[in-house]
Amino acid sequence: MTDRMPRALALPPSDGPAPNRRLLLSAGLGLAAAAMLRPARAAGSIRIGYQKYGSLVLLKGRGSLETALQPLGVTVAWSEFPSGPPLLEALNAGAIDFGSAGEAPPIFAQAASPELRYVATEPPAPRGEAILVPKDSPVRSVADLRGKTIALNKGSNVHFLLVRALAQAGVPYDGVKLAFLAPADANAAFVRGSVDAWAIWDPYLAAAERATGARVLADGQGLAPNRQFYLSRRGFTDSSPEIVSAVLKAIGEVDAWAEGHADAVAAELAPAVGIPAPVLGVALGRLSYGVAPLDAAAVADQQKVADAFHGLGLLPRPIRVADAVWTQPERRAENRAETR
Amino acid sequence: MPLLRRGGRAGLGLLLPLVAAIGWEIAVATGAASGRLLPPPSRIGATLWELAVSGDLWLHVEATLVRVGLGFLCGAAAGIIAGALVATIPLLRWLVDPSLQALRAVPSLAWVPLFILWFGILETPKVLLIAVGVFFPVYVGVSGAIASVDRKLVEVGRIFRLSRLALARRILLPAVLPATLVGLRTGLGLGFLFVVAAELMGASEGLGYLLVDGQQFSKPDQIVAAIIAFALVGKAADMALLTLTRPLTRWQDTVRDSL
Repeated sequence: MTDRMPRALALPPSDGPAPNRRLLLSAGLGLAAAAMLRPARAAGSIRIGYQKYGSLVLLKGRGSLETALQPLGVTVAWSEFPSGPPLLEALNAGAIDFGSAGEAPPIFAQAASPELRYVATEPPAPRGEAILVPKDSPVRSVADLRGKTIALNKGSNVHFLLVRALAQAGVPYDGVKLAFLAPADANAAFVRGSVDAWAIWDPYLAAAERATGARVLADGQGLAPNRQFYLSRRGFTDSSPEIVSAVLKAIGEVDAWAEGHADAVAAELAPAVGIPAPVLGVALGRLSYGVAPLDAAAVADQQKVADAFHGLGLLPRPIRVADAVWTQPERRAENRAETR
Repeated sequence: MPLLRRGGRAGLGLLLPLVAAIGWEIAVATGAASGRLLPPPSRIGATLWELAVSGDLWLHVEATLVRVGLGFLCGAAAGIIAGALVATIPLLRWLVDPSLQALRAVPSLAWVPLFILWFGILETPKVLLIAVGVFFPVYVGVSGAIASVDRKLVEVGRIFRLSRLALARRILLPAVLPATLVGLRTGLGLGFLFVVAAELMGASEGLGYLLVDGQQFSKPDQIVAAIIAFALVGKAADMALLTLTRPLTRWQDTVRDSL
């Protein structure tokens, strides 16, 4: 009896519409796979990835980019990302066309894909990142961090800052204990006293200073430039250079406005970032405004970051930052004219 | 013969992933698909091999297994005790169960900042977070199983003048055991889910750390390698639990055995 049960439970072969269903199913799966492999972009559109803090948020809020791109017949789609790495992963995957990130994420994104393009940079903001210690900590200098536990986001701009600070103070990299934590979790560990120091960037830096009275042990001055980069991908810069140029122009305009309206910027960003406007004002005061193409100094600075991460074994192979730098068409024409 | 049949079933289980892997490898090799976002099996295999040869893989697997093992023991013990108490003491059921059912809905990541504040960043918060994940399915399984024991079985036990201890051992335990074991299996599975969140708490080893590290540094091959390692380790742990607990339900005569 039990031997017959499986046969009784099995469905009889059907000569009805099953093959059609199978055909539809396989066609549907094929289309879905194709859609996943090649994320769609409308001909006259740009998909921008942004984070909660920075010029792109202001640009989105003011709606000035949409106005600027209207004559070109280009629409804008915005996507928010929690941090640089997933934003650049989306950029490399072709899910977005443009975005911004700090120094470190583009290094790893370039190592992962030759598609990445640096299109512009903001001036250095070295005071916008620092190594913090609790206000009553006996640690008075970076040299005192030997044997101590430091919280940081692995492979971030502050990782590079820490490497440089330790080297300058003569502390070997393996002479400290590292606790790799995201900013929110690092904040909890810092408040509890589970870590002796915290390498962090603005606006979390300003918030921690205000909330806990933490002391700055060292910031980026003389150690790390702490730049913000605007990035795209080769496919987009090749096919739509005029859109990229228009976006950079719009960012430049919003930056020029922001520089003279710090209070208004703080008030606008505070709800999104979840940090009080006065605290955000402190962070914004440490920002550098303006958008410019990457010059030799910016490329050299970024190459130092790449080499440092390769030295730590975080990069699988060395990279040349210069290979990923995009030149605006008008600048290309200028360069050609100069070389003639 | 049954051994052969079981081997055949295991082979069938491997068929789907094998076909998918070969299909994807061919798709990448022929250029029909980009191997960057989802690397081909050959590259994932190479990554796993590199991790294994360097010894890193075993370090990560060991760290995760120790955390899940300790978390599972703590969570399962707490779940069994709480489930039994809540099911047998009505006042406790009215008092405690609503709160526990509400807490059950809290996602693992939501606990992370609190656990860091309460317990620091060493092993304690990691193990406790996994224990939280394991606790709820075990608690629900045990309390539900006890509450749904057939009243007639208990009455039969009373007719036979069984003492409370004998009643528990001869009637309640066999009636509750199958659902409890299902709860334990579900709890173990959730333990492996929660370990990823746990290893965000300042870990520098573990499969969850390996996974997040791959995402942070744009290494899709490492991400998939970590997922495969998770799947294999999780399956092995589940099989070990099944093997250890099978003798406890040997008396069961289920339809599954005859299918």
